Amino acid sequence: MKKFSVVFMYELKNYIQNKSYMVSTIVIAVLLAAIMFLPRVIDMSGMLGDSTSTSSPTQDSVEENEDVNQSSENVGNLLIYDKSGVFGDLSLVKSAFYNYTIQTKNSKEDIEEAVKNSDDTIGFVVNSMTEYDYYVNNSSMYDSNCDIFNNLLITANQIKFCQDNGLDYEKSISYFYPDIKSNKNVLGKDMSNNYTYCYILIIFIFMIIILYGVMVATSVTQEKSNRTIEVLITSSNTNVLFFGKVFAGAVAALFQTALILGATIISYQINRDAWNGILDFVLDIPSEVLITFAFFGLGGFLFYTFIYGAVGALVSKTEDINKSSGGIQMIIMIVYFAVLVQLSNIDGIVMKVASWLPISSYSAMFARVAMGNVAMWEIVVSLVILIVSIIGVGFLGAAIYRMGTLRYGNPIKLSNAIKAIKNNK
Amino acid sequence: MKLEVKNIKKTFGDTEVLHDISFEVSNGKALGLLGRNGAGKTTTIRVIMDVFHADSGELLLDGKKFTQKQHLIGYLPEERGLYPKKTVIEQLVYLGRLRGISKSVAINNSKKWLRRLEVDQYENRKLETLSKGNAQKVQLASTLVCDPDIVILDEPFSGLDPVNSKILQDVVQELIDSDKLVIFSSHQMSYVENFCKDIAIIDNGKLVLSGNLIEIKKKFGEKQLVLSPMDGNLDKLEQIIHTKLSDFIVPTGRTKEDIIIKCVKDISRKELLAQILECDIEIEHFETYKPSLNDIFVATVGDEENNIKQTKMTGGTV
Repeated sequence: MKKFSVVFMYELKNYIQNKSYMVSTIVIAVLLAAIMFLPRVIDMSGMLGDSTSTSSPTQDSVEENEDVNQSSENVGNLLIYDKSGVFGDLSLVKSAFYNYTIQTKNSKEDIEEAVKNSDDTIGFVVNSMTEYDYYVNNSSMYDSNCDIFNNLLITANQIKFCQDNGLDYEKSISYFYPDIKSNKNVLGKDMSNNYTYCYILIIFIFMIIILYGVMVATSVTQEKSNRTIEVLITSSNTNVLFFGKVFAGAVAALFQTALILGATIISYQINRDAWNGILDFVLDIPSEVLITFAFFGLGGFLFYTFIYGAVGALVSKTEDINKSSGGIQMIIMIVYFAVLVQLSNIDGIVMKVASWLPISSYSAMFARVAMGNVAMWEIVVSLVILIVSIIGVGFLGAAIYRMGTLRYGNPIKLSNAIKAIKNNK
Repeated sequence: MKLEVKNIKKTFGDTEVLHDISFEVSNGKALGLLGRNGAGKTTTIRVIMDVFHADSGELLLDGKKFTQKQHLIGYLPEERGLYPKKTVIEQLVYLGRLRGISKSVAINNSKKWLRRLEVDQYENRKLETLSKGNAQKVQLASTLVCDPDIVILDEPFSGLDPVNSKILQDVVQELIDSDKLVIFSSHQMSYVENFCKDIAIIDNGKLVLSGNLIEIKKKFGEKQLVLSPMDGNLDKLEQIIHTKLSDFIVPTGRTKEDIIIKCVKDISRKELLAQILECDIEIEHFETYKPSLNDIFVATVGDEENNIKQTKMTGGTV
């Protein structure tokens, strides 16, 4: 135990003495904390709204917003060729496309020609009450003009129906679309609220595993490449050396994570009112989710870092690390994408299975705790599986570390390494 | 304290690289482990250090199984290696503590050995900034920082200039004088000759010669004499030996100035000298042959072709 603490402290000191590690940690933490204080220093009411009133927006304020919107900058020209006069004086079109300059044309060809020669010109050829052609030169990903125009045609049809049948359009609409007031009372978990921070935490732990995994692997490989390893393994037990190294990496990662997350969350909590609670969906993380994240995140980190350490022992040049760690990186990537994709189906079979497997429970289980239905016994059993796996992978990694000593040259295949361990050579 | 290496065998793949290696060494003495390149010296040392596990055989310390981690051992591996980006003192203290000594003792010992090896001015410098020779002295300091009872040095003199070699020689002698058990591998026979009371010569993974160096030298020089002619013509002298003295002596080798002869008949020195003088040659030098370790080494492990080459180069026996 004494030697473990010697190795642990020495390796931890390596991280702390690493200027880029310390500078990046402190700069990121200070920067995020400073951002959280911004609303106290500068006026961000445009982005955050009126901080003095948290009441729901009134009809007046909606209208005010519309006025603001209608005075917005002109975004281009809208050309329209209304063959059958569906829109009459075009007042409906003008109200919907308020930030366009509306012009009428007399042929489809005129519209095509104008649209083709200008990126900020769009065109509509209205063939009938239920059919139209839309013209745009380059269509953006978020082009919603067709949806707006569909609604326009629907409205035009509704008005015409009311006129044809002697009905009051405004009255009919108020019957068809009455104001509904609803109060949502979430007694369990609100997936829509928890989704964002789950997403961010999964990305966060993924980044930490990859970053520190490679750092630990590099540290092991450097001991081979600078030939220190022979001195080390003849000075102390291999398990002590390997576990000390990985645990030091874990503490360094934990310190960095805690400092950055802690500074951000605490600063946000201090300034929550100034932010109008706008970042609650990201930073107001329930304590049980944070605790689960801490346990499973740390567990997953240790699990993969031990594997990365073993990978480091399989190669003798740092440039070979990526080649040998390709397999494990692939697994991490698959788990990462699978869990992210399945966040919307949190109680599905994929997430249930993933939350039990040690390769994926680090992200799947805390996501289930945050967003799904999970019993306490499931959390405990999954954690036990993860801990047992960490111990197993740790000792296997230490054996590979020992086996890899003095095996310089080409990277050793994992299968050969395991065979060599079995043969105790 | 006595370390016994008994019938060690080691195989890599299908190749047996060590075949029944056995020798022993006691504290206050140094054992010189000798052999040509690739003979198995470093593998033997690595088996002793438990870097490699032996396939069979045993290591005993005072008759009990030798468990490396239970003893303070100073090991200087053939492939030197420390942390290039760390300061000298930082890594010496770390390696000392890894071997079980306290931080304060590690700091004191580090400073002591750096001073003794005349590299204390580099204490706070990063290793990568040091010359190869100074880095090697730091490595030796790291070997000795735990004040070990057993010291195993694999090629300690390689890469050192004569001045640094002298410092290292003195340090090794001090270790022997302070009752440490020292195992020492080297190609420099003169160093081994200076320090080691016992030697073990390994060739192709086999122990071909071992024992007390004085006894071995005595045995190798038994019934052998050295002759040199006044005119320095060794060929002529050898021809005379073949033609006129073959009933008494045969040549067994040459040095630059002498012919080594072996008596084939029980004859006194006085009688032999009389026979030689009767052959009408003037002798400058007539004495007992005292083989150097180099002569013994070449005679033991060199093949015929190599022997001739090495004899010509070093003036040793065939």
